[in-house]
Amino acid sequence: MSSIVSSEAILLLLLIAGPMIFGAAAWGVRTESARRGVVLAAVGCVVASGLALALRGPFVLAGARWLEPLGGILEAALVGVFFALGVCRRMWLVAAAAGVQAGLLVWEHFGADPASSVAPPFIVDPLSLLLVLIITLVGSVILLHGIGYMGRHAEHAPPTAAQNGRFFLVLIGFLGLMNGLVLADSLRWFAVFWEGTTLCSYFLIGHDGTEEAKASARRALTLNALGGAMLSLGMVWDHRQGGTGLISNLIANPASTPLVFLLTAAFVKSAQMPFQSWLLGAMVAPTPVSALLHSSTMVKAGSYLVLRLAPAFASTPLALVIALAGAFTFAATSAMAISQSNAKKVLAYSTIANLGLIVACSGINTPLAYAAALVVLVYHAISKALLFLCVGTIEQQIGSRHIDAMGGIFFKLPLTTTIAALGMISMMAPPFGMLVGKWMAIVSAGQTPLVLVLLVIGSALTIFFWGKWLGRIVTTAYHEKYHLEKIPRTMSAALVVLGAMVLVAGAGVMTVYRAWLRPLAISTLSHVYLQPDSLGLLQSVDSFMGWPIMVTLLVVVLAGLASFFGLRRTQVRLPYLCGENVVVGTRTFEFRSVMDQRTTAQVTSYYFTHLFGEETMTRWANLVALLILLSLFARVSLA
Amino acid sequence: MSTRMTLGLAAVVLAPIVGGLIRGLDRVLTARLQGRQGPPLLQPFFDIIKLFQKEPVVVNRTQVFYAYLHLALIALATFMLATGGDALMLLFILAFSTLALVIGAMSVRSPFSRIGAQREIVMMVAYEPILILMVIGFYLANGSFRLQSVYEASRPMLLSLPLVFIAYLSVVMIKFQKSPFDLATSHHAHQEIVKGVTLEFAGPYLGMIELAHCYEAAFFLGLAGLFWATNAWMAALLAAGVFAVTLLLDNLCARLTTHWMFRFMWTVVFGLALTNIIWLYWR
Repeated sequence: MSSIVSSEAILLLLLIAGPMIFGAAAWGVRTESARRGVVLAAVGCVVASGLALALRGPFVLAGARWLEPLGGILEAALVGVFFALGVCRRMWLVAAAAGVQAGLLVWEHFGADPASSVAPPFIVDPLSLLLVLIITLVGSVILLHGIGYMGRHAEHAPPTAAQNGRFFLVLIGFLGLMNGLVLADSLRWFAVFWEGTTLCSYFLIGHDGTEEAKASARRALTLNALGGAMLSLGMVWDHRQGGTGLISNLIANPASTPLVFLLTAAFVKSAQMPFQSWLLGAMVAPTPVSALLHSSTMVKAGSYLVLRLAPAFASTPLALVIALAGAFTFAATSAMAISQSNAKKVLAYSTIANLGLIVACSGINTPLAYAAALVVLVYHAISKALLFLCVGTIEQQIGSRHIDAMGGIFFKLPLTTTIAALGMISMMAPPFGMLVGKWMAIVSAGQTPLVLVLLVIGSALTIFFWGKWLGRIVTTAYHEKYHLEKIPRTMSAALVVLGAMVLVAGAGVMTVYRAWLRPLAISTLSHVYLQPDSLGLLQSVDSFMGWPIMVTLLVVVLAGLASFFGLRRTQVRLPYLCGENVVVGTRTFEFRSVMDQRTTAQVTSYYFTHLFGEETMTRWANLVALLILLSLFARVSLA
Repeated sequence: MSTRMTLGLAAVVLAPIVGGLIRGLDRVLTARLQGRQGPPLLQPFFDIIKLFQKEPVVVNRTQVFYAYLHLALIALATFMLATGGDALMLLFILAFSTLALVIGAMSVRSPFSRIGAQREIVMMVAYEPILILMVIGFYLANGSFRLQSVYEASRPMLLSLPLVFIAYLSVVMIKFQKSPFDLATSHHAHQEIVKGVTLEFAGPYLGMIELAHCYEAAFFLGLAGLFWATNAWMAALLAAGVFAVTLLLDNLCARLTTHWMFRFMWTVVFGLALTNIIWLYWR
């Protein structure tokens, strides 16, 4: 028992229970200013505990006999909450899923051999460490932004919105649950945290209390409860087949049936097609929620599980189907993002697409593909958090989340727009991490043609929706007058910190890859036979030099700055509008046309709705995705 | 300095000269096909020199970054092509270069320039998968994504990738803004969007973009030559053939719509390239 009070145990307790305690404190305090202080303290604590774990490095926590039953009790309690929620709010599917889970729990309790081990329920290894760093560092910046954002949100939120106190309780606690989820090795505890995040997301999405928010929250809960039932099924199946209830054991002695159930649960959580609808609905929530759900938490729980299980399904017949499922999601959702004019929805589709890319890479099962998945995981978390926070800030300032309404925000919100543009460039341009990840993914898919074609299609479509949006926000009028926007300091600080993270981490992507992600990928898949071809590809990626791109960009920035400030005021002229321009302030979109009338020139973007329209495309794409998922179950007999 | 570095720097210096000559020849031959006298061969150089001597005028100050970025990245792509760098990364840098021009065109409040920019994006999306499939074809034929392997291959790529080469031809037509794909901008006077993407650039900044187009001309014909890299003469002949076909089709076809181009590229041309790739897998 003495091991429980070791410094490792305290560190884990700080990571998991710490945020929950701070959350409870934020809920308990009465004044807004006190709450701000509590949340700020939480930010500091979360960052410090994450960094402390990184400095401590990997370790295994010795188990205690009471931990496993405690997990069982917590899970039973959560299932009870789901059942009650399902019955009270008339979500019958949720109630049914909870009922199934309860049945499985009872069955397992009476059917299991009592000699349950005292195996370590928590393991800190490089993969969980990576995830903890993402959760704590990115998550805490989102909390920081949330302080300012929620202060303003309360002013124009609908009257039905819940209290900010409850919001921060769930939001901060969420980080603790996520930490627990990635650190748990016992499936029992993993499930507790898994269900916990589902419950949190239900409260967060429904925060505003409008009809739309309620419906979205219900949809998220329904789908994720079904995913939770899948997880329970997988756990029980594993147990019945003689598993020890540890994830590490499941990986060492893979059995395909529990694996497939766990993977389905992961697909639901990371919003892979055909389960994407809950994440699309989640954007009605206040921005910190969308940022948290989309970047560092919730959906990353799903991709974490896929990555964790990758060595178990590597080189089995399941791998190819998993790769296909991910690649299909990547291509289809990238196409659907083109038809969207709602900024948050574009971001949502892009999130689903990138999660698909991670899943696809896990299914290709070469070390290079696995490393690509890790690169996408890390850099997507940073860039997407940044973009969501920027869109939230823009939305509060201009009152719209329509992309076409964002023309000319550059001189209203120079700081936010510059950082948003940086975020978009980091999603698609060299030498930033996301592009390097995509590049590695395509390189590693060379041996799996079908996956490759889907990746090629998806990555070409990606340029389309980022390009037109980026062009829209950087539009500036002539004779700009820049007024630095007045936004709460916590918000601008969060944006600047994330922007700096994008720049620094982006510049160092190959260093991060060589020092950390590549060794991690190689050790994870060490048991998989490496074909000479894959080895060659790995080496060719290793030898990639990023510095010519850096030097080029540096030269461009320096030369550009020199010219930027070298231009005189008289050298900035009006654009050509096919008539005499009418100058109103800094606007230059009006001109005199026939009969001396004032006409406003307007240009909207291409959306290609007839090709990529959401309704038409979702229908058949869901069908295809469902077929791929079913074929995953069909392949179990082959595995 | 290593030979590869020297080669790369030489390409960066020589490419605009070769590209300028190609563009001059294009204008002379097009004029002759249309029964006109046409400008002198060196006209593109005169144009660029004249543009650089003009006063810098912009519609907004941020434009200058995009012009620099467009030129610098295409020069970097040329450098990578000559030194045999990673082919896939080369494509991404190329795409970034075009994207810089697009964003520059969208950063001004001019409808003509922005329509051109929107079309340019669609054009990029239309040809990007074909280029990636081409690189994958190189990989399947040589077992490496590095262009170095293409230079060192003993068998010309054209024999392994005949259909991809035909697909590449349409990419060159789009890239050179030739009919039926001259949607975003054009060198002829029959455009309804005035000058499209380059409309709001002027003086030295337009000069930079013109210079970048010279790079592009040399780059894409060089890439065409790569299909027969074992023999310099055959490579030159292949590049000349591609040039001749684009020129001829430009004068034979009328411009078609963006949607038509997108569908054509993603069905017919994509299918063509894909067939070739599948064949390479099953070989």
